[in-house]
Amino acid sequence: MEIGAAVASLDPDVPAATPEEATAKLQIDSLIFDHRDADGAFAGAAGSGAFRVTSWEAAGRATLAVLAANEEFREGRPFVDSIEITTGRAARERLVDLELNKADLTEIAPQDARRAAEQGVRISASQPDELLALVFVGGNAKADAVTKAASQANEQARRASAEPAMGQALSLAIDRVAIVNFILQKTGEAAGGLLPQWSSGTAFLFPAAAPSAGDLEHAKELWKQIAPSGALVLGYDSADPLEQSVAERIVVNAKEAGMSVRAQPIPGAGAQKSRGAAGQAPRVDMELVRWRMTSPLPGVTLKDFLTRIYSEFLASFGAAAFPEIASPEDIYKQQRVVLSTYRVVPLVWLPQVYGLSARVRDWKAPGPGENWPLADVWLDTETPTLTPTGVQ
Amino acid sequence: MRPSCRFLLTIRVALYTILIGLFVGATSRASDAQATSTLPKPWNDATARLADEVAAALSPTSVTLDVENISSLDDAAAATIEAAIRAQLQRHSFSLAPENAAAQSAIRLQLSLSESVAEYVWVIQILNDQSSGTAAPLMIVAAPKADFADAGAEARSLSLEKRFVWKQPGKFLDFALLKDSISGESILLVLETDHFAVYKPSGAGWQLFRTSPLPQATPPSRDAQGTIMLKEGKISLQGFECFGDSDLAGVLRCNASKPIQSVGAVRMKIPGFPTSVGTDVAQKCRGEFVFLFTAEGDWTQPDSISGRLTKGIPLPLVPSGNTLEFDGPVMALHSGPEDSSVRAILHNLKSGEYEAYVVTATCNN
Repeated sequence: MEIGAAVASLDPDVPAATPEEATAKLQIDSLIFDHRDADGAFAGAAGSGAFRVTSWEAAGRATLAVLAANEEFREGRPFVDSIEITTGRAARERLVDLELNKADLTEIAPQDARRAAEQGVRISASQPDELLALVFVGGNAKADAVTKAASQANEQARRASAEPAMGQALSLAIDRVAIVNFILQKTGEAAGGLLPQWSSGTAFLFPAAAPSAGDLEHAKELWKQIAPSGALVLGYDSADPLEQSVAERIVVNAKEAGMSVRAQPIPGAGAQKSRGAAGQAPRVDMELVRWRMTSPLPGVTLKDFLTRIYSEFLASFGAAAFPEIASPEDIYKQQRVVLSTYRVVPLVWLPQVYGLSARVRDWKAPGPGENWPLADVWLDTETPTLTPTGVQ
Repeated sequence: MRPSCRFLLTIRVALYTILIGLFVGATSRASDAQATSTLPKPWNDATARLADEVAAALSPTSVTLDVENISSLDDAAAATIEAAIRAQLQRHSFSLAPENAAAQSAIRLQLSLSESVAEYVWVIQILNDQSSGTAAPLMIVAAPKADFADAGAEARSLSLEKRFVWKQPGKFLDFALLKDSISGESILLVLETDHFAVYKPSGAGWQLFRTSPLPQATPPSRDAQGTIMLKEGKISLQGFECFGDSDLAGVLRCNASKPIQSVGAVRMKIPGFPTSVGTDVAQKCRGEFVFLFTAEGDWTQPDSISGRLTKGIPLPLVPSGNTLEFDGPVMALHSGPEDSSVRAILHNLKSGEYEAYVVTATCNN
């Protein structure tokens, strides 16, 4: 199988450089460790899981790991004998490898899913479980402000106090439906809330329709009241083409509502996000974030998201005290409270998309908190597969 | 799409059920209340909590209830929940106005049947409450998913059986089986489009005993309908009524009659009411009215008959029991006057012949 993220090391003591690497490393760990403890840490020795690592080669950014089936695995030997995992492959390379039958399973970016399907690639998609949202970082920048020049600090503090109005104006102006239809090619759902409908059952109470003329007028009025001294700076991960496209779209939407927003690529933004709260990037008013659900249970995911949003203000918003097992009403009300601050503006829900070769059987796209079901997958070697030179 | 005769028959059944509804109207409030008892207890409790919260937010007034089902609940289950919530709202002295009537003054309640990954989520939104001047609160309750299967099992109390009676190449509209009042032997009556045939037993089959020509409507209908009404001793055709002796085996006298008019009939939304051929069954099951309906295919497709139960109109019709499959469309269903059987006329697409069946609905309780 092929993974887009580069995985520098499987050593648990070597921290991941990006969220993508952390996720990939987590998935590989889930294959080679027996199980997880209650706290989420992998238990047992490496190789006590369904597979054990037999080789690990690094060639520049890309690595090749070969995993062999563990004959003694507690839950029974996997169906396949071995897995070759290539990391650090670019999206286009992965698709080509899949088409040439050099790979059986690969990750596909949501925005590429439709085009891949039209090219005949066998697609498997999860429920939408990754939130792409816009988060204001003013609150996190307040501490820095006092150390800077007074005028700069005052401006920064003024912008921070205007965040709710700026967030509301942007939320009114952004055309989420267009992002889903045109950028994501309909692979995803417009997001009005912090949880998807399939998980919470109340997402329909947070409308995410295209902005009406009235919405745009309201956004213009809010922007006039704020009257910021310059354009708002929207940061995005320079290595993420989806974030770039969405950021550019937001700039256009904002302009239509008379607002001034500038998109700012941030090298290594993903690495910063992986280390905790959004907003460590300098010189931005807000930034795009991609948050994976950690559980299908809405209370668990909401608590995780609240921690990310209010890492510095947990006490004031009571996120720490928010129960993981909460009623639908509690979950709805908590979302309403958070969204009314406009510190976070949900944009779209993304599924995890995979490309499969024709011979892969019993693959089910993993849900939030689930691992790749590679121990259950088997290969139908009698299925003829087309190659550039014919049928193999 | 079903040809027009099916639509007309559906209207006829609908009108009939409305009449039943009028007869049971005096007890409809009690029936509404009983609807809640057909739900599993956790669901019943959830509907009660929802209505309690509405009552806490609103003074008793005239309301309309719009329902949107965005969950995996099927239409019948959704209709049962809707009926239960209506009953609970009435228990709190809310007056439920029809959707179109009194909409100007009534407060609109939007009931959304949703679901999360773990449970059903039922929400009521007050769409136009202007009494407080502030945003009206939402009412949200959860109901466990595990009870859905139990609810379905509770509903399976009807058992349907079919018995083949007769077949012929030509189309016929109705048939009847009866005993000769004098000789005691069986008689088969077959109402065809242009004549009425009487058959008597002959060996293992039937032998034609008498035919009587029937008057024809002008212009003739491609979608002819007719019914043998033994209890009244008459045959009803489009535009004609024919009378005979008690068993209709003798001479018939036919008169022109006025067609049934539906002008002025009240259109009533009945949850779970299919747009297919259907009829009621004379006997009740567990105190509920029994209806049989065909599937909603067209005349080029195999068909089926299944049962539905309701405590009254406009309470929902809930599917119940097994489904009988047929090799062609069921052209007509006629209920018997007193027993739990109905007469089904089938166009067998494999043989091309028309067949007569007696379908019996037995209550398992």
